[in-house]
Amino acid sequence: MLDRLMEKAEEAEVFEIDSEATQIGFKANKLKSFEVKETQGLAARAIVDGKVGFAATSDITAVDELVDNVLASARLGDEIQLHFPDPQPGPEVQVYDPELASLSTERLIEIGNEIIEAILEVDGEANVEINLSRRVRATTVRNSRGVEARVKKAPLAISMEVDRVRGDDIITLFEYFTTATLDESYQAFVKRIAEKLRLAKESASLASGRIPVLFSPSGASVLGLPLIQGLNGKNVYRGISPMAGQEGKQLFDEKLTLVDNPTLDGRPGSSSHDDEGVPRERRVLIDRGRLTGFIFDLKTAALAGRESTGNGSRGLFSPPSPSFSNMVIEGGDQLVNDIISGIDEGLLVESPLGLGQGNVISGAFSNNLSLAFKIEGGEIAGRVKDVAVAGNIYEDLQEITAMSQESEWVYGGIRLPYVLLSDLNVVTRG
Amino acid sequence: MKREQIEAALRSSEADYTEIRLEEGETTRVAFRGPDLETADVALDRGGIVRCLVHGGGWGIATFNDLSNLEHRVQQAYEGARAIQAEPIELAPILIAEDEITVSLENDFRGIGVTEKKALVQTYNDILLGFDSRIVDTSTTYADEFKRIVFANSEGTYVSEERPMISVRVIAVAREEQNVQRAFDGVSRAAGFDAVTGQEDLVKTVAQRAVDLLSAPAVEGGRYTVVCDPRMGGVFAHEAFGHLSEADFIAENPQAREMMVLGRRFGRDILTIADDGSLPGLRGTHPYDDEGTPTGRTDLIKNGELVGRLHSRETAARMGEEPTGNARATSYRHRPIVRMTNTFIEEGETPFEEMISDIEQGVYACAAFGGQTAVENFSFSAAYGYIIRHGEVAELVRDVVLSGNLFVTLKHIDAVGDDFEWVEWGRCGKGQGGLAVSMGAPHVRIQDVLIGGE
Repeated sequence: MLDRLMEKAEEAEVFEIDSEATQIGFKANKLKSFEVKETQGLAARAIVDGKVGFAATSDITAVDELVDNVLASARLGDEIQLHFPDPQPGPEVQVYDPELASLSTERLIEIGNEIIEAILEVDGEANVEINLSRRVRATTVRNSRGVEARVKKAPLAISMEVDRVRGDDIITLFEYFTTATLDESYQAFVKRIAEKLRLAKESASLASGRIPVLFSPSGASVLGLPLIQGLNGKNVYRGISPMAGQEGKQLFDEKLTLVDNPTLDGRPGSSSHDDEGVPRERRVLIDRGRLTGFIFDLKTAALAGRESTGNGSRGLFSPPSPSFSNMVIEGGDQLVNDIISGIDEGLLVESPLGLGQGNVISGAFSNNLSLAFKIEGGEIAGRVKDVAVAGNIYEDLQEITAMSQESEWVYGGIRLPYVLLSDLNVVTRG
Repeated sequence: MKREQIEAALRSSEADYTEIRLEEGETTRVAFRGPDLETADVALDRGGIVRCLVHGGGWGIATFNDLSNLEHRVQQAYEGARAIQAEPIELAPILIAEDEITVSLENDFRGIGVTEKKALVQTYNDILLGFDSRIVDTSTTYADEFKRIVFANSEGTYVSEERPMISVRVIAVAREEQNVQRAFDGVSRAAGFDAVTGQEDLVKTVAQRAVDLLSAPAVEGGRYTVVCDPRMGGVFAHEAFGHLSEADFIAENPQAREMMVLGRRFGRDILTIADDGSLPGLRGTHPYDDEGTPTGRTDLIKNGELVGRLHSRETAARMGEEPTGNARATSYRHRPIVRMTNTFIEEGETPFEEMISDIEQGVYACAAFGGQTAVENFSFSAAYGYIIRHGEVAELVRDVVLSGNLFVTLKHIDAVGDDFEWVEWGRCGKGQGGLAVSMGAPHVRIQDVLIGGE
């Protein structure tokens, strides 16, 4: 296909995806469905007279249409200084575990049952829906400069919703776990969920005001999301990131170090090369509170007069754009239990509602909390309902009181510790 | 693919129930970001899904892009159904349907070249860019999609349907030092190209609002009487209530069933909420759902009382109720689950001026960035708002986030407007990513709402 494109183009790239997965579904604590998914696709980019075109198809036999579509797209494109990369080696990283790739249906069912049992032990009225999937996903990027970068991953993913309805007392947890290595880490994930349910059995009330707020790793996603958007080279180039033009400046508390790390073994977000064939590497973007970099793909880098940072990411039907591989905020030096012991009256934020709504790019967060606990006299005192927190990371992260040693993976590719902010706005009904 | 091939594959199945859905679609997208063209491309997407049920087993499902061996996919789904021991799954009966639905679009977008589509998007984008120097970023997107779907099952149903969709969406981002604000709007309909032309006024309004929000103060957090505009009201009906009406939440959850018992009073008798997948031209409309059940109107709350819910064939059988035509899937890559179609608060009688006339201090919440619910808790971010003071709409405010307990809030709806509107934009992300839906409402007034803010 590259050859056909090169009859008309100066440069060309072909992206191929092939994936097969087995998925087991539990609903209302019981086994429900078995699904086999096979996906294929082809996408191409071509540069003709300095203009870039793009086209994609899930019908890998429709090569003629794909060639016509990408060339037609190039005729409409802007002229930009985009060049595909030369072949370069990338880091060695383990994302394919043959044992995981061939994990049996029986084992998936077993894990599902284990999880349900562990939750029902804590709360017999819980209603659990789980999707467990094992998958093998292979992508290949080829370009006219000789790149042939193949990435093969075998992730296991567990996604769950736990509801417990007792009259008007309702708790809902959405949880997600993924790994590219077969280990027992899912058990720690399940223990945490069971612990949350156990703690939620007690109630507590809290008055509105400015108080210490401890964000758990999943709660800290309200702090992480504006950082992710602000560090995206596309938003920087567009002038909408508050971090544009601030490289080298001390923007945050020196406890904050944020890294994009594609070299972590066993993480589905890792790989040797990005989706454009550019080799990946670990990058420090915020170094002890000082802004040191952004993430770019080829096109954004070309527009911004920079280099790609190996963060080009794509789905089948879109051209690449910058995205984190694994976004890691490094942990601190205190144990979370010690942090909690030191809080006289405060709020522990476990799960926000409406993450991603609102003016996230400006740094603002304002979220009702679907799960939060009162901390009283150094202990977790009970669940607080109808409570919301609000703030702006560009102000509130200038003074971080503590960060825990303990960290967790949330939403698959984000790793966060517990974060304590001593003075945050909390609004409650009580 | 020929009908005989599909029916042959169905006959080859050893399952007690088998269905096959095949889709083929072409999507054209043109997107600008700032002055730069992001893409002008055509994508072809084709694939299928087979579902099987076996007595003593569960659902067996196969999804695929390669259509060359349907019998093999049926076999995969059948073996999957047998591989798991689940509790018995019944499907409520429906009439066997045989139908061919074709569409005829005025100014069919398939006949229009990408160059002309790009020119339209460029016009709108240029309006945004040239409006004010404080507008630093824009996103203007056009998409049209034409899908052909064939659904057939072992009961004899065979339905083929053409599904068009066209949309334009504009976002303007204004910036003044560290203050960044955005405004957006769009149009989306199952219609031809004329649905998206002539929208210059809509685009200018978006640009103006982004700039105005720069100087708007953040709303002060607290409890207020809130008037929702039709777009916020529609999102509320969908997010805060609609999801609780999806029977897959209730069917196998005894406590949830108790919470959603028919006849329970949820609001005052001015409140009626319904879902209707059969209304022509709307985003959530199709004559049959993705199990071959005809769509139609289902009342959920009527005059304040819970009277109905939304079903798939499976949830209807489990609850001893009639299927409602709400089994939908985002695409062939996903199995159908209970989803809303076009969900709305029915028009009432109170004019807007009357609604605000006795509000001393309140908030007028307009449009929605989005909403999320966790069963009874909801949180919505209004795109913008106004303070209502001494019975009049006063200054523009930003960062208006409404949240609270659904049951309490529904009971606090004390006025329903006489000015119903459909929101011509909607994507519902329940588990499977963005499914086309629409929402509608008149203005509604809600007492004692928690508004989060600085």
